[in-house]
Amino acid sequence: MQPELPLPTVLLIALGVLTVGLGAWALLRRDRPAAPWLRYLWTFLAVLNVAAWWSFVAAVWLLALFSFRTLREYFSLVDIRLEDRWGILGAYLSIPFMTILIQVDWYGFFIVSIPVYAFIIVPFLVVLGGREARGTVLSIGAIDFGLFLFVYCMGHLGYLLLFRVTWATLFIGGVALANAVEALVVGDRPITVRRGVGMLAIAVPITMAGAVAVQPYTEFALGHSLGIGALIPTLVLAGSYTVTAIERDLGIAPDALAPGRGQVIHGTRAYLFAAPIVFHYIRYFLEE
Amino acid sequence: MSGYWRSPRLWVHLLVLRPLLRFVFGVTVVGKENLRDLDRFVLIANHNSHLDVLLLYTIVPVPYLVRTSAVVARDYFARFPRLVKVLEYLFRPVWVDRVQQDTDPVSEIIGRLDAGENIIIFPEGTRGDPGRLQEFKTGIGRVLAARREVPVVPVHLFGPERSFPRAAPVPLPLWNHVTVGPPQLVHGERHEITATLQQAITDIERTVSAGRHRRTERPRRTRLVAVLGIDGSGKSTLSRRVAEAVSVRGRVGWVGDTLTLFEGGAPQDLQPLQTERLREWMGQQAKQAKSLAHYKIPKLTELLLRDRVVEETRRWYAPVLTVTDGSPLLNMTAWAVLYREEHFTEEFCGRAVAIMSSRGERLGARDPLLKQFPELRVLLRLGLNRLSLPDAVLFLDVPPAVALDRIASRGERQQVHETEEKLTKLADAYRLLCRVLVEQYGVPTLRLDGRRPLEDVVAETIAFVAAAEGDG
Repeated sequence: MQPELPLPTVLLIALGVLTVGLGAWALLRRDRPAAPWLRYLWTFLAVLNVAAWWSFVAAVWLLALFSFRTLREYFSLVDIRLEDRWGILGAYLSIPFMTILIQVDWYGFFIVSIPVYAFIIVPFLVVLGGREARGTVLSIGAIDFGLFLFVYCMGHLGYLLLFRVTWATLFIGGVALANAVEALVVGDRPITVRRGVGMLAIAVPITMAGAVAVQPYTEFALGHSLGIGALIPTLVLAGSYTVTAIERDLGIAPDALAPGRGQVIHGTRAYLFAAPIVFHYIRYFLEE
Repeated sequence: MSGYWRSPRLWVHLLVLRPLLRFVFGVTVVGKENLRDLDRFVLIANHNSHLDVLLLYTIVPVPYLVRTSAVVARDYFARFPRLVKVLEYLFRPVWVDRVQQDTDPVSEIIGRLDAGENIIIFPEGTRGDPGRLQEFKTGIGRVLAARREVPVVPVHLFGPERSFPRAAPVPLPLWNHVTVGPPQLVHGERHEITATLQQAITDIERTVSAGRHRRTERPRRTRLVAVLGIDGSGKSTLSRRVAEAVSVRGRVGWVGDTLTLFEGGAPQDLQPLQTERLREWMGQQAKQAKSLAHYKIPKLTELLLRDRVVEETRRWYAPVLTVTDGSPLLNMTAWAVLYREEHFTEEFCGRAVAIMSSRGERLGARDPLLKQFPELRVLLRLGLNRLSLPDAVLFLDVPPAVALDRIASRGERQQVHETEEKLTKLADAYRLLCRVLVEQYGVPTLRLDGRRPLEDVVAETIAFVAAAEGDG
């Protein structure tokens, strides 16, 4: 049974209403700028719609561009040495490398592309470019970690898109819901145990109910719908908690976000941890 | 005006260079409105990279774009004749030859300004060390001294020194921040002009590059100041006030009934430490105790946890100073003195401190100290003998009667040990300890009269802390 409207369109309409509502609210309260997570939700929705209506290939390359944007922001903020430049160039080049593997649906190579090949080549390039050995370990760590978080984790979203657009849509919707709850419960304050638990207590039932509600579209069994519904907010919380510390270290101020100053990292942090885990959950249990 | 829009040069800038810079590198411009409605202007900026001039052209308002020229060094580009042609086309540069010096760039720049053109100039002359502003050359001063009616716009570029530094063969896509300062008219003679403009760019730089990620910070020893005193002496208030006051210089941790991190005179949010939660709970248990036996164990645990909290604060938050209400090491020693005053001399006291803070003192199985202070054995067995010794100690001396009055006026329930007799003994024990600290450990110690107004005491304490810092 296939419902009449494709899921991305349904979601787009719903989010259009939500955004207009939030926009009206922001106009009423001018002192509060629009939430950063909402800004990049539009990017992901655009990618989903391109995949749903036009071309999967175009969507994956759009996502690759977005990965580049995020990685570039990270490298702009992290303290790099002159010797690391070749390694950073290698890191940038691994984005098209990985994206081609998604495009041709070569799963076995995609899954090792960055953790094996890039993680071997980047340190090699860093050392090759170096005249000074001091700082090599931290440089390799910083570059590899950025590559992992902002390219590899994001790449899983592209692969999920390849499986089925509705699944990627469910994922994006789930993260957006969890994000909205997090923004309400935690905001820009530090994530404490109490706030974290509070966020989960509200978000998990919502995403679970949402996952069950879209069952006709996803065709997941009830148990798996509930499982994914519980998984997404938990990972969003863990991701936000971790990336908050990274943001602090990089000198990103949540009240002074700008492009190149942490806006992209802050806006996408919720997706980074959730994407690979949800992807593997679906691949292991549900993808036939 | 329609001829202006037909200039292909304009469209090369608008359709090729600007999108390329934005798309590959990323550009943020702050203060673009500062360039609006200027008839003519001189743009000055710090110079670190070949990207600088391209970035400056992206902020020039479109109607001025074709009428803007940059000052470029010919001796550097002379090696690439084709590149010179490209530059000639894009920027119509005023060439400066730093080697041959056959032309006078200053008169040419003035000539172009008189013809109604805008000038982009890098007063440092060369690209220099990445991210470090060099002394400005006086050329800029000579130009502006001759044309004082032309406004100067100081611009700070942040990012090109990373995306395309001097030593790098290829540029990397990394974000660039362009900060445009307010336009200004110059005063004074050449050298003053040059110095003023250099200051203008340094000022922008300071605000822009604050909070930059630095991988290895200078290792810093964070100092620990303990405020001692009997209950009701006001040591909690004093230590908190001191932490607050010192925090204008940097981050200060305060460990009292709660843990607070002060920065810039105000408490900051912090990720909670689990040890701290446990300690707070323990502290409440101790306060509610009905008998001394019920008081001792929670209080002891609380003290040991408090020491962990102090250590964790110093380790994780790296404050310039940590102020504690009491000091677990000294409090425990003082209590030991209190219970067994007949044995405790200065020598014993010093040894107990040495053992509890792991300062190389050895303890035999039949050491007399163990007999008089049997808890030491337990502490040693549990490995709890690494308590931190403060770098400076303040002793807030208040007569026990006054302290008891204060406790009563706070309306709190009197804790079991809060009797005049006990508090007197405790104060004596603290005095003994302070002597030991000064004589045997060289820890600066200050005795304060707690009956004086709080403001005076705080002021004296801050002076003392500053002096103690100077020693180390």
